[in-house]
Amino acid sequence: MKTYGIIKKTLLFFGLTVFFSCQEDRDTLQMRYPGYFPEPEYTFGNNVLTSEGFVLGKKLFYDPILSKDSTVSCASCHAQEHAFADHGTALSVGIGGKMGSRNSPAIVNAAWQTSFMWDGGINHIEIMSFAPITNEVEMAEDMNHIIQKLSRNEKYKSSFQAVFGKPIIESQQVFYALTQYMAMLISDDSKYDRVKQGKSAYNEEESVGYSLFIQKCVTCHPEPLFTDYSFRNTGIGSKSNDTGRYKITLDDRDVHKFKVPSLRNVALTYPYMHDGSIRNLRSVLDHYSEGIRESDQLDPSLYKNGKPGIFLTEDEKDKLISFLNTLTDFTFTTNPLFAK
Amino acid sequence: MKFNLLAIIVLFISVLSFTSCTEDDEPKTLAAGEVSIEFDHVFGSNQLPFTLNTEFTHPRLSEKMTFSMFRYYVSNVRLKKRDGTWYSVPESYYIVDLGVNDGTHLHLENIPGGEYTDIEMMFGVDSLRNVSGAQTGALDPAKGMFWSWNSGYIMLKTEGTSPSSSDGSFAFHLGGFKGANAVPTVKSYSLGKLVVDGDREAEIHMVANPARLWHEADGLAVRSKTHMPGAVAKQMTGTFYDGIVFDHIHN
Repeated sequence: MKTYGIIKKTLLFFGLTVFFSCQEDRDTLQMRYPGYFPEPEYTFGNNVLTSEGFVLGKKLFYDPILSKDSTVSCASCHAQEHAFADHGTALSVGIGGKMGSRNSPAIVNAAWQTSFMWDGGINHIEIMSFAPITNEVEMAEDMNHIIQKLSRNEKYKSSFQAVFGKPIIESQQVFYALTQYMAMLISDDSKYDRVKQGKSAYNEEESVGYSLFIQKCVTCHPEPLFTDYSFRNTGIGSKSNDTGRYKITLDDRDVHKFKVPSLRNVALTYPYMHDGSIRNLRSVLDHYSEGIRESDQLDPSLYKNGKPGIFLTEDEKDKLISFLNTLTDFTFTTNPLFAK
Repeated sequence: MKFNLLAIIVLFISVLSFTSCTEDDEPKTLAAGEVSIEFDHVFGSNQLPFTLNTEFTHPRLSEKMTFSMFRYYVSNVRLKKRDGTWYSVPESYYIVDLGVNDGTHLHLENIPGGEYTDIEMMFGVDSLRNVSGAQTGALDPAKGMFWSWNSGYIMLKTEGTSPSSSDGSFAFHLGGFKGANAVPTVKSYSLGKLVVDGDREAEIHMVANPARLWHEADGLAVRSKTHMPGAVAKQMTGTFYDGIVFDHIHN
């Protein structure tokens, strides 16, 4: 009985040692964001955010091991210098030169997003990466094969064990690690933010542009995240007959609706729209001012006085662009923590 | 003296009833054990034994079908005790898969010892787990039962070949957890008496009939592929789930 007691105590001691050493090995990280941001949609929950988990996620993000033939990584189409949108291409190229049908969205403040992809088909950040990884024209890989490849790699194997404390790698850990990296891609140090925090001031052009923005754009692009995450038909038509949100909801009212993207870093995420069909910001404003095509599903907020379009003079367009440029966050695009 | 006799009689009766109670009640010593659920599969109203890679003729459609895959989710299993209370099996998610060894046999481990009268289970995956991010076990997206482009579990997945299909093949990936076309369906079955006591065998036999996917739905000549939630998924899984019946138990 006494021996048993000793064994029990010893086991408890070892148990605690293991527990504490795990805790010591992993530095828990905190999400930091300005007070004027709302609460994020994703708060990590079961996925304990640690610096090691974040670094592992970053490693995976930049590693083509996630694609079938090891040629494409997440970063291939999501480049830091473009606020994690693609390198100025309308449609992205996957394995074997295959083309996707939509423009790669920026990964900015993803922890605040309520859904993912242009059609909002993905309902949770943790399984977001499952789509590009398995899509035949993107990375075309199978999760089981990725796990085999990662388990054969001693460095990955030990990193996964250190982060998650489990003997084998499972898809959940791959998704968790990628999420730790992507959810921490927080952009909150643009000129707009510094003005907001009283550290800087707009010049004349930017100031007028901001007023115009408040009058004409905030219905769909409210501050401070510059999107309301809704789905809207902006009247650009569709060459490829991509029905957008309709594919997910099968609701006729959702035909040709796409998610309102955030405008943070918008100057860097060209070309624009779900199909990358508009080359630059000026042309986007031309579209909203003069180029909207009418259709049954055209967003009601795009009608002014019964006519489609948000009319802007050329001077107003200049000033709006000046304001939109203040949403560029070079601290974000050059942050060495996010870089390969 | 007379009063004492009455007291003795009352005492006697109460002791007697107490004893009889303990006899009726399950002894408290029954040990936790495994309950297994075996899904047997038959095809059509003539109950032909169903296996993959065998040609069957659908009785209503008169279409030939050879299945290469047949998988579906069973979840949220609960067992009703003799006393009327329910025991919910924790993390209760399973894939019935005819393509793997022992894949039609669900093992519910560490079920508290006792006598059970009913079982309840969900066919499909509850809506909460469809919106809760990266899962493990039977719900691991790596199992091939999760739509990447439209988040949600493929609650029933079957593929095969048929001369009735225009391209010679069929594939039905059925699911959906929202609104009127939500697929998950809870069914309960009366078991009679299932005793769980340690290593003692406690096996529930269910019978499912893949032909019932087309109990009301269009045949393969009309529709041979469905890869999304919607009315078709709801109809096909609905008639299939309705046809899953309790057969017998081994105690």
